[in-house]
Amino acid sequence: MSNNYFNTLPLREQLEQLAKCRFMHMNEFTEGVDALKGKKMVIIGCGAQGLNQGLNLRDSGLDVSYTLRQSAITEKRQSFKNASENGFTVGTYEELIPKADIVLNLTPDKQHSPVVAAVMPLMKQGACLSYSHGFNIVEEGMKIREDLTVIMVAPKCPGSEVRAEYVRGFGVPTLIAVHEDNDPQGHGLALAKAYAVGTGGHKAGVLMSSFIAEVKSDLMGEQTILCGMLQTGSLLCFDKMIDKGMDAGYASKLIQYGWETITEALKYGGVTNMLDRLSNPAKIKAFDLSEELKVIMRPLYNKHQDDIINGTFSSTMMADWANDDVNLLGWRAATGETAFEKTPAGDMEISEQEYFDHGILMVAMVKAGVELAFETMTAAGIIADSAYYESLHETPLIANTIARKKLYEMNATISDTAEYGCYLYNHACLPLLADFMKGIDTDVIGRGLASDDNGVDNARLIEVNAALRDHPVEAIGATLRGHMADMKKIV
Amino acid sequence: MLQLHDLSVEFDEGFQLKHINWQIQQHQHWLITGANGAGKSALAAVLAGYGEILAGSTSSLPTRIGWVSFEAQAQLIQAELKKDDADILDVISLGTPVREIIFTEEIDPVIAGDLIQKFELDYLLERAFRKLSTGESRKVMLIRALSCHADLLILDEPFDGLDQASHTMLQNHLAHVVTHTQVVMVLNRFDEIPDFISHVAYMEDGQLRHQVKREDTQAFNELYQLLHLKTTHLTVPDADADHKRPTLNPLEPLVKLSNICIKHTDMVLIENLNWCIQANQHWQLSGPNGSGKTALLSLITGDHPQCYTNDIFVFGFQRGNGESIWQIKQHIGYVSTALQWEYRVGTSLANVIISGFYDSIGLYSKSTDQQKHIAQKWLALLGMEGRGDQPFNKLSYGDQRLLLIARAMVKHPPLLILDEPCLGLDDINRQLVLALIEKVCAANETSVIYVNHHAKDRIAGIDHYLALEKSADNS
Ligand SMILES: NC(=O)c1ccc[n+]([C@@H]2O[C@H](COP(=O)([O-])OP(=O)(O)OC[C@H]3O[C@@H](n4cnc5c(N)ncnc54)[C@H](OP(=O)(O)O)[C@@H]3O)[C@@H](O)[C@H]2O)c1
Repeated sequence: MSNNYFNTLPLREQLEQLAKCRFMHMNEFTEGVDALKGKKMVIIGCGAQGLNQGLNLRDSGLDVSYTLRQSAITEKRQSFKNASENGFTVGTYEELIPKADIVLNLTPDKQHSPVVAAVMPLMKQGACLSYSHGFNIVEEGMKIREDLTVIMVAPKCPGSEVRAEYVRGFGVPTLIAVHEDNDPQGHGLALAKAYAVGTGGHKAGVLMSSFIAEVKSDLMGEQTILCGMLQTGSLLCFDKMIDKGMDAGYASKLIQYGWETITEALKYGGVTNMLDRLSNPAKIKAFDLSEELKVIMRPLYNKHQDDIINGTFSSTMMADWANDDVNLLGWRAATGETAFEKTPAGDMEISEQEYFDHGILMVAMVKAGVELAFETMTAAGIIADSAYYESLHETPLIANTIARKKLYEMNATISDTAEYGCYLYNHACLPLLADFMKGIDTDVIGRGLASDDNGVDNARLIEVNAALRDHPVEAIGATLRGHMADMKKIV
Repeated sequence: MLQLHDLSVEFDEGFQLKHINWQIQQHQHWLITGANGAGKSALAAVLAGYGEILAGSTSSLPTRIGWVSFEAQAQLIQAELKKDDADILDVISLGTPVREIIFTEEIDPVIAGDLIQKFELDYLLERAFRKLSTGESRKVMLIRALSCHADLLILDEPFDGLDQASHTMLQNHLAHVVTHTQVVMVLNRFDEIPDFISHVAYMEDGQLRHQVKREDTQAFNELYQLLHLKTTHLTVPDADADHKRPTLNPLEPLVKLSNICIKHTDMVLIENLNWCIQANQHWQLSGPNGSGKTALLSLITGDHPQCYTNDIFVFGFQRGNGESIWQIKQHIGYVSTALQWEYRVGTSLANVIISGFYDSIGLYSKSTDQQKHIAQKWLALLGMEGRGDQPFNKLSYGDQRLLLIARAMVKHPPLLILDEPCLGLDDINRQLVLALIEKVCAANETSVIYVNHHAKDRIAGIDHYLALEKSADNS
């Protein structure tokens, strides 16, 4: 039976671990990949992260090979093809793990316990085990052999982005950590830094954090604003438009591509910039709606954060894992049956600006979700930098997946853990917003404000603008975005 | 409407204009431009009735023409010298005075008198025409042309040899003349183009290559750049002395591919191929679609995953021995349509060029002043001076391509790979790109690999060829 590692720590240490987060300076990476040069890196699993991290590490001059479970090799599954067609050596655990200096565990989080249990006895004395997410260590309390070094290098982007940004000569923001209970040789940090350089992460910014801070913030972001809010918002907005007699194809398109379009503005200038894309009356409207939403949803965000911090979330989820994922699979099927999911996007033109003008409520939802997630995380002791990456920074990335193939694609791309969290959020949030939605009409979702609605009160506008700019997520966002020398725009 | 219909004309020196199709409407004012020897003046001369028509036809050529050109000027001077020879009597001819040359019967004396004052020629009226300086005789030509109530004014480099004051005076005068007289002007410098010009004809090799409306700003700018590339003496801007790259062993080839095999799932794309590229060789790589040209190149650039399963020696590295792709890429400049697709970033033009120092798509490092300076020079070379802050993704397709070639060249790489650089470009842009490539080949510090479909499309300066075939089991 698993044992929540976080819960075993005294409060003082819990707080210290949660607050552990520091933006690293470029000159801390001058040694490049040296610490890993000539070392054998063996990756377990060749999925989204495994393949793309491996390609980057190899292109950085490191020695990378893959080990897969026997069945994947025998059946020549996709993971086997990913590795072998890209010219990597592929072997069984027995063949490759004993030679490895570093084993990179890039299997799904849900599989970590059995996978680690299987490879640990094969690992050589003093080797290193690395993760890209700390769930197994923190929530399942996995105990790792004392001679092994345990580190985490967690890119804050999907695997495809990890590769695409590297190829451009850049990288994705990355969080690194050393598991303090497992750093017998004291070189965990050096290895993690070299690994981050190998994936290109150091160019986009590296946060030195802890396993605990990573897990607790990652879980919070993904289940609330990132996936939960977008899922819930999609369903509510779509149903409202249909209710009000709007064309279903239009409604479907406005939502499917709307999230991507409006959150693109976040990428460049945060929440302020996203709201600046609206006309003055629409901006005030969005602001007011989001204030209302924040009041209604704050208890839910607090509950998610509390459940994550005290381990209720993961134990509930693990119970579902043990129960053959009944809850998760049931919910996944139900999502597939929603009207939004089943209505194809129409082929009408919707201009970039129209997505904003007709999606005032969506803008309000994004604003409310980002700010609430950020506020809740920082209140729980998570450092602003980390809270920013786990909320605002990732929102456009998730929105892109909805633009590709709606909620199905989003839930397929994100981890099972995120999907489970999304399920919990959606379940609670739909009824929570029912009353609020009764007061909503097509002026804020679907048709836009009437053109005679042009008057604004100057004093109110000044107030709103100041409130937007003064939110703490904006200050940290401006700093962190500044680190990306030349924000690239994918048109 | 003045019309040249599939007209071919020969001139004394054997120079030919070929298959000219051109219509000039009443209200239009044309500029004829092109590089030296392109046939600009010849085309203008055709309008004045010169040249021997070999084929095709003209219609509605104007009868009363005011023609100013180097040739017309030379003719007049020749005629004067002949008169001189004719006087073999013992009286030494004083030559025809300027006054007589100007005030012939076609000339409107009022206009002519006015222009004489404006050009400040009064004091020369009694002097022999043949004694005038070039600039002075040019003024006389101008006065004659402008005072004869012409139906068409042909002004071939009218500003040549004029001092600044006369230049301005003439421009002002023309602005007034064009309200009632049609003008065809020949200029090889775009920056002198007067506002009233409504259309541009671009000549090359005796052919009328492009006709562009002034109001079509994009086409107009492209024409400007083309002319700029063709007519200015191009020197490729220096590399950045502070941006050092390891020197290569001159005794080793740049690239040596041995027994290359590229396989996809169960299809063999390339099998047992050997290719060795020495420094200073220029190569053309050709082959049909799907023959593996791009895949082969990406083995060199390190972008193909199978570069780790092949025997590849590049820039001193045997691949797969701990080198990073950035150590390889620093020696390569690369341009392809795929790169252009990937380069969809809102970066400024200057930063796109500077990104070539870092082999990145977008710029993620702080650039130095020196690099910014070099970028400005490249922009000037491309005819995009002063546009460094504009966003790259707002440029025309052809301009983007030019800029990416500059990006590839900016670090003076030992190897420049141009993968179908003209693909998707229209004629003007194709010529622009080829003009730039030829400059690069001629500079000879970079080896070029030029890729296209057709083995026959050869480029000046390229002397090695590799033709790929579609492999048999690749269907
Ligand atoms: N996705 C993201 O955005 C993201 C971002 C940062 C970090 N991460 C972390 O990266 C890790 C990997 O995530 P991912 O999204 O890359 O997963 P993924 O795409 O689902 O890939 C998982 C790989 O593991 C293999 N695998 C599955 N079950 C296995 C088992 N029982 N034993 C051995 N191999 C198994 C799979 O191959 P076969 O099924 O063919 O064996 C597959 O190749 C996770 O810890 C995740 O939290 C993900």
